[in-house]
Amino acid sequence: MATWTYLGFQDSASPLMEQLIFFHDHIMVVLIMIITFVGYMMASILTNSFINRYMLEHQTIELIWTALPAVILVFIALPSLRLLYLLDEVNNPSVTLKTVGHQWYWSYEYSDFLDAEFDSYMTPTNELESSGFRLLDVDNRTVLPMNTQIRVVITAADVIHSWTVPALGVKADAIPGRLNQSSFMMSRPGLFYGQCSEICGANHSFMPIVVESVNTNSFLNWISSYSD
Amino acid sequence: MNAESGGTQLLLLLLLARKGEVPTMSEAIMSSQMETAPFDPRFPNQNQTKYCYQSYVDFHRCQKLKGEEYEPCQYFKKVFRSVCPNAWVEKWDEQLENGSFPSKI
Amino acid sequence: MTSSHGFHPYHLVDMSPWPLTGSISAMMLTTGLIKWFHQYNMNLLILSIFAILLTMYQWWRDITREGTFQGLHTSVVIKGLRWGMILFIASEVLFFFSFFWAFFHSSLAPTIEIGMNWPPYGIQPFNPFQIPLLNTTILLSSGATVTWAHHAIMEANHTQAIQSLGLTILLGFYFTLLQAFEYIEAPFTIADSVFGSTFFVATGFHGLHVIIGTSFLLICFLRMFFCHFSSNHHVGFEAAAWYWHFVDVVWLFLYVFIYWWGG
Repeated sequence: MATWTYLGFQDSASPLMEQLIFFHDHIMVVLIMIITFVGYMMASILTNSFINRYMLEHQTIELIWTALPAVILVFIALPSLRLLYLLDEVNNPSVTLKTVGHQWYWSYEYSDFLDAEFDSYMTPTNELESSGFRLLDVDNRTVLPMNTQIRVVITAADVIHSWTVPALGVKADAIPGRLNQSSFMMSRPGLFYGQCSEICGANHSFMPIVVESVNTNSFLNWISSYSD
Repeated sequence: MNAESGGTQLLLLLLLARKGEVPTMSEAIMSSQMETAPFDPRFPNQNQTKYCYQSYVDFHRCQKLKGEEYEPCQYFKKVFRSVCPNAWVEKWDEQLENGSFPSKI
Repeated sequence: MTSSHGFHPYHLVDMSPWPLTGSISAMMLTTGLIKWFHQYNMNLLILSIFAILLTMYQWWRDITREGTFQGLHTSVVIKGLRWGMILFIASEVLFFFSFFWAFFHSSLAPTIEIGMNWPPYGIQPFNPFQIPLLNTTILLSSGATVTWAHHAIMEANHTQAIQSLGLTILLGFYFTLLQAFEYIEAPFTIADSVFGSTFFVATGFHGLHVIIGTSFLLICFLRMFFCHFSSNHHVGFEAAAWYWHFVDVVWLFLYVFIYWWGG
């Protein structure tokens, strides 16, 4: 999870988040090259005293500074599109998790085999254990098996919310009357924290998300404890 | 499938697990028919609203056509139970009962 | 009359109270609506409508005096008036475009709330080949008669101009009457799903425009009666005719897409 003063990405817990980080790094390489080049050009133009009274146009240089940015953009666009379509893929999911945004909590439903249905509220600070994370921990965690393709179906019951877990590379709007699908695979066990990402009213900041990644057995144990 | 049969299948799995043989999710699926709604090429986008609704309608049409005992109809039920929010299903069941459901069954 | 007689073709208007009374009554209209909604009292609303109608009557009366009797509408001014009318009608086209957008948005991919059907299950739309088809022929005929009136004016044939313009107004009135009957007979309301909403908002605003167009033509009819129009200067009539054709075209789209395809 993100801790104090940490400004980078969280450590990824899913292959897609890794891809997102790779893409980010790729873009940064391009960006820094451009910034360096433009910065150098600006500095050198400002600090010399060359004058050319007769130059009104120069087709060659115009061609270069039109075509070259286009080529650079292609090198950004192609990996971007690849990633976009990778994120859209659902890859034969084994478990479907239904998540419904409410003012102001998330509720979860597992209906593939045994029925599990529960609300997940933020733990208030005064009830928090000393090991807990303020404004991030919840009373009921979303337990899911790792190394398993999971489909999340996201919707809302009142206003628009957004279900987000940065370490898993998942973010999708929860819209009343619409089911948004997203999918991920957790590559390691752990607790992955997220927060509602669409301003949804007074307590928008107080409806966090906690995904608990466990092995298949623990998941089966957990879910059977939920069935009647 | 109902929760009862799912429960017994799961018990078997848990017994297997206690003996130290950890089943992978795919094995669990194989042995307990724990499977979720598959990808449906009719609904290839992020928006799955109509996958849920169409499966609900298909289930009731199937039952009406083939009778409540007809096993293949259960496929649609499995799909809509996996994908539809429970609140939606409850609302539609109510609408079916009082005749205000927006589709012809 | 100082500003109107410079050595230039432009019409520098005189002092007029009507922009002020118009703004005050528009403000009263919106306030009156709110008062009606919250206090169930229509007094301010009725007063403001009366004030607006009075402003409209007097303002346009003054324009008639300036254009017809004082000769202030030079060819350059007429050009400006025409452009104004063209831009106004263009904005009206966009206004109706938004209703068609809402209609196609709802009907091309119907949501699950209406059972993914268009028209929604349980809605009985109108038969497009009964009154709507009759209304189509009425409006198309009125388009022909208004063109007849235009030609009669250009040929300085006062009798035929009066007759054909009168016929146009009667056809417009007949259209409104039939639409009213259709609305009374309708088996669905504006509150019956997005079908009812898009249907009544689109056809309702068209009906309002037919009423406005008919009034515009009626004013032209009266002015023709008072011989305000000459064979080469009849801008008011031209504007009314353009407006009428616009209303006519909107109806054709309404008929084809909302009544026929969408019903």
